[in-house]
Formats: sequence, structure tokens, C-alpha cells
Amino acid sequence: MPPCWYYEKKELKDTPSMREGISFDTERRYRKEGARFILNCGTSMSLGHNTIATGVVYFHRFYMFHSFKTFPRFVTACCCLLLAGKVEETPKKCRDIIKCAKGILTEDQYFSFGDDPKEEVMTLERILLQTIKFDLQVDHPYHFLLKYAKSLKGDQSKLQKVAQMAWNFVNDSLSTTVCLQWEPEIIAVAMIHLASKLTKFAVVDWIGKQPSQSKWWDMFVSDITIEILEDICHQVLDLYSKNQVQPENSPPQQPPSRSVSPNHNQKVVVPPKLPEEKIEAPIPPAEKPVAPPPHPPLSEAIPQHYNIYPPAGFPANYQQMYPSSFPPPMPPMQPMMNYPPPSQPPPPSYGVPSTARPPVTAPPMPQGGYYGGGNNYRQRYPK
Amino acid sequence: MSSSSPKSSNSRMHNYEELNVIGTGAYGIVYRARDRTGKIVALKKVRVTLTEDGVPMSTLREISLLKQLNASKHPNVIDLLEVCSIRECEGQLVVFLVFEHLEQDLSDLIVSLPKSGMSPTTIQRLSIELLTGVDFLHSHRIVHRDLKPQNLLISSQGHLKIADFGLAKTYDFEMKLTSVVVTLWYRAPEVLLQQPYNSLVDIWSAGCIIAEMFSRKALFPGASEGNQLDKIFELTGLPSQQNWPKNIPLCRESFRNRPRREPRDLCHQLCSNSNDLLNRMLDFDHRNRPSALECLTHDYFVQEPLL
Repeated sequence: MPPCWYYEKKELKDTPSMREGISFDTERRYRKEGARFILNCGTSMSLGHNTIATGVVYFHRFYMFHSFKTFPRFVTACCCLLLAGKVEETPKKCRDIIKCAKGILTEDQYFSFGDDPKEEVMTLERILLQTIKFDLQVDHPYHFLLKYAKSLKGDQSKLQKVAQMAWNFVNDSLSTTVCLQWEPEIIAVAMIHLASKLTKFAVVDWIGKQPSQSKWWDMFVSDITIEILEDICHQVLDLYSKNQVQPENSPPQQPPSRSVSPNHNQKVVVPPKLPEEKIEAPIPPAEKPVAPPPHPPLSEAIPQHYNIYPPAGFPANYQQMYPSSFPPPMPPMQPMMNYPPPSQPPPPSYGVPSTARPPVTAPPMPQGGYYGGGNNYRQRYPK
Repeated sequence: MSSSSPKSSNSRMHNYEELNVIGTGAYGIVYRARDRTGKIVALKKVRVTLTEDGVPMSTLREISLLKQLNASKHPNVIDLLEVCSIRECEGQLVVFLVFEHLEQDLSDLIVSLPKSGMSPTTIQRLSIELLTGVDFLHSHRIVHRDLKPQNLLISSQGHLKIADFGLAKTYDFEMKLTSVVVTLWYRAPEVLLQQPYNSLVDIWSAGCIIAEMFSRKALFPGASEGNQLDKIFELTGLPSQQNWPKNIPLCRESFRNRPRREPRDLCHQLCSNSNDLLNRMLDFDHRNRPSALECLTHDYFVQEPLL
């Protein structure tokens, strides 16, 4: 039975961290900080969007099995980026990732890396691999987004704007747990839907429109209601809400090697100018925050709170983070099943020792086809 | 720090209890093991030497390929049930690939055949299943590299499933460290001659296996690398000086000069269609061999088997 990486909302409210007394809001903030950090670190090391997104998904999955109290988020984040780099064949040296992290993080945040930061990250790799069950290949909304956007009909400059904004929203969605709730296809649909609402671009026609299709996404996904899409949109829009807990600093944590083994040398003590640990104080079950009131429909919610593009309340340097990559060029189509091509020398094999032949770029693996192409979402992953 | 001996840490790994060694393949040891529910599985152990930046990229790539393969299950390829790992000692990671296990393989089946041999329709069906499985692996960029009857498991319904694949790059490294005795009988000439090779090595092996189903004995039962090549040249003829690879220690002159022959000359049971198919699959020059998909369109598979 393959592991299921999709969770119900109630499971996201009963995580290992919450069982150790971390509140839902604090965990949400930790996840957001970890994801933002991977985005920043990855971008400044010029890693591509897929590598970055893969790292963030590892991060979110990891904390469905472990607590933020045991594993400090920025160490985990570095390890996720290290692993994602290798899996996506854009490897970065552990040393360089740590150097980059040191430049981004505050001194208090960097404290969690301990005396030997590299060892801290390397030790975690094995735990990370085991936790994510070696499910290394992760699919992301980006290429679905481009495919879907290309099929829409209308004013090209408006469509371009929709695609670009949707792309930004996909980036931002990584700071939420939507990747733990929905398949990338659905997130792509939701983010295009959100962008089209915000740009007031109503999609009325698309390539290959059938009389039976009332919405453009009926072409790509089935059984997806507007309520599901709007719920995803609201989870992303909540990122820009000012009501989210934004404490100045989180209490630094001990490196995992220390927190795991109690006999470790005790010379590292919590530094003096720590803020009170009130965020992580265990909360009795009765005092758990009640569910927020349901969101208003998107059409009402957006104009009041969110000033469209770029999303309001976002870091000022937000646009510089992805300067010239929108939308990225469509990857060229590669023949896949033609193995080997009939009249050419055979393709490189994985068995060729690197010294025997000059390295040849292998065509990329086909994306997204591995679930058998069914589109009965969610039901494909029985619990 | 003294760690427990490898033997004792192996005997119980996570949720699996090792029962016995199934096989020492080219690329590692495979154990028969029992999971917590009592189900029998095949446990393949791969020792990975960590680099300065942890688990090598090639190992990660290959594991993720195997996982992807499993996401689109194929009836002729054994299921990968789980990948897990333990750290055995400093600087090394032991990765366990847990596969579905079946008790019978093609070599058992061939040995148990009556004198009359395997029926032509069974040979044809098993050949189709083998090539379909190989095509599936190849289309996922996995080269098996060690196809042999012992690696082709037979289900209780008589269907063929390819086993014991994966982590070729990782094994490459390990092979230099271990001196496992491996059967050479199904090995393509370019591998024996230490030349660059690709997925078409599997087509060679599949050709040898199909011939073995007809004759119930190995086509090229070599006793050493040199002897293996000599047996191959019995079919393909000795390659010309031009086609003989440069920069290898093996000298062309040390082999007998032989003319090219047909598979039927070595394996009399072949029908004319299977003879033609094997003639193509067992071409010395791998560039002339058909892909698995091309093999499946051969007349042998679209016409009634004739003997």
C-alpha cells in the first residue's frame, strides 16, 4: 500500500507538534516560516521552482510525523532543500546551503544549528528519508498551471496576467498546507480561478470546450466543486491577512542531536534574552482555538481585504524573488516512449559508468502520469 | 564506538524477519523474509556509501525511479512494497528494498518440465510477458542488467514477473568492492568486453532466455569470461578487427575464428519465426538489436507457433 500524503482538515489539527502542545496557529506560522525560508534560500542559490517546491513539500510532510519541538524548523528546512536539490538533479553543497542559511536567518534562529551545523543537517537526512518513505518524486502545480492557462481563450495580455498571478499564488500556496490536502492539478485550477477572479477576467471559452462542460476545469479535473476551490483560495489568501500570529521572534530551539539524546553535554543553555515561551506552552485541550467563522464567498471577500497584484501585505522584495521567470518557458516536448529512438544511437542508460561516456542529458521523466491518469481525485488515495 | 556486528543487525530489520538467502545476484544479496503480517517478501539489501553531502544523488534518483515505477503497476514486473533504511555504521547507509516474493522462478519451471518440454504456446506467452515487462522497465529508463531465469518469477497462475532490478549505479560502485560469483550466461558481449552499454543488454539476455525455454538448457553456458565470449562467437562469428573494441586487455587473436551462424544451429527446437527473432535479438552489435517494443511486433508473436 503506497503511503498517502493527503490529509483531512481534522488530521491537520492533530499533528505531532500539536500533541506536544504547540498551538495550531503557531504550527501554521512555523510551517510558513520554514517554507518562506526554503523559498528564500533556494532562490538566492538560484535553484529552480521545482526543486524549491519539492523541498517545501518534504518539509510539510516531515512535520506530519515529527514535532517542531523535536526538530528545529530551519535545520529541517535546510535538509529538505539539500535532498530536493539532489533528487531534482540540481544539487547544492550542504556547506553552501548552511552558509546561505546563516545569511538569511537571525542569530537566534541560526542558534538551532548548534556547534556543528553541517553534522546537524546531515544527521537529519536519514530521518527525513525514512519519514517521507523515500517518496522522493513530487509533482507540482506549475506545469499543470501552464497547460491549463494555455487552453483558455480570451484577451492574451489578460490571460498572461492571470497566468502570472496564478504562478505567484502557487509559490505562496507552498507556505500553507494545501499541498497536504490536494493534488497539484487541483491547486493549479484553484490558483488560476483565484487569479481570474482578482483580475476580473471571466473565463467563458476554452480550447476543446464541450457542451457538457460548464466550467473550464471540467476539462481537466472531475468532481471538483466551487466550494473546494474557494476553500483552497482562502487558505492562500489567509497568508496575507494581518490577523495571523506574527510574533517578533520564535524561541530558538536546541539542535535535534541535543534534544534527542538527554546525555549530551549540557553546556548549551538557552541564551538570556529569550522571549517568554508562551507560544509553545502546552494548551489544555479545552482551550484549543475554536474554528474560525466560515469564509465569505470569494467575490465578497477579496475586494475589501486584498489589493490584487502583487498580493497586499506581502514582503516588499516579493517581486524580486522571482524576477524574470514568469511565466517560465514551456519545457520542450521530449519523446519518451520511443525507447530507443529507431535510427539513432541508443539513449544513455543509467548503468553507464560516468567515465565510460561523456554525460548525456537524459530526457526528463514524464510528469504526472504515474497515478494512472485517473481523475477521481482523493478517492484514489484510500485511507 | 563499537556497533553490533552486521549479521546481528541484519537478522531483524524493522518489521521484517529474515529467513534465508534467496540469491546472491550480481548486485547484492536478496533475503527471503517475513513481514509482520506473516507475508513472505524478498528483501534486497544495498549498502550505500555516504558522500560528503549525504546519500549520493545517483542512489536517490534510482530509488525515486523505482518508486515511480511502482506507482504505475505492471503485471509482469514484481511490486516494490517498501523502501527503508537503517544506519549500520558511520559513513554508510543500508537501504532495504522490499519486494513482493513468489516461490517459483523460471529456472525451477524449466527444470521441472517433462521430456517433451514446454508447449509452444507457453513459450510464446512467457516470451511476450518477458518482453512486455522489459519494455515497461525501459520506458521508465530502468535497465535491468541481470536478466536470467532465476530472476523471472512465476506466479501461481503461471504468469511471469521480472524481479531483482534497481539501483544499477549504486551497485556499480559496490561491485568493485565485492567479488560475487555471478552467472555470465546471459551477459551481452559488450558487457563482457567492458564496453559502454545500454538498455539493449536486456534484449540480449531476453534472447538467451527465450532460447532456453525452447531447448531446456542454457544457450551460452560459459565457464569464464573468455569462454563465455567464445561460446557467443559460435553464434555471432568472431567480430572483425574493425569491430573489435580498442583499449581492452582481451586480444582478438586469442579467439578461434568462426563464421556467423543462425540461432537454430545451436538450438534445434526453434521454429523459423523464433529463429529470426532470436537472430535479431542476439546481434553482436547492440545497435542492430530491436527494442523490446519492436520485438513484440515480430512475426513470431503475431503468427501461430509452428514447430
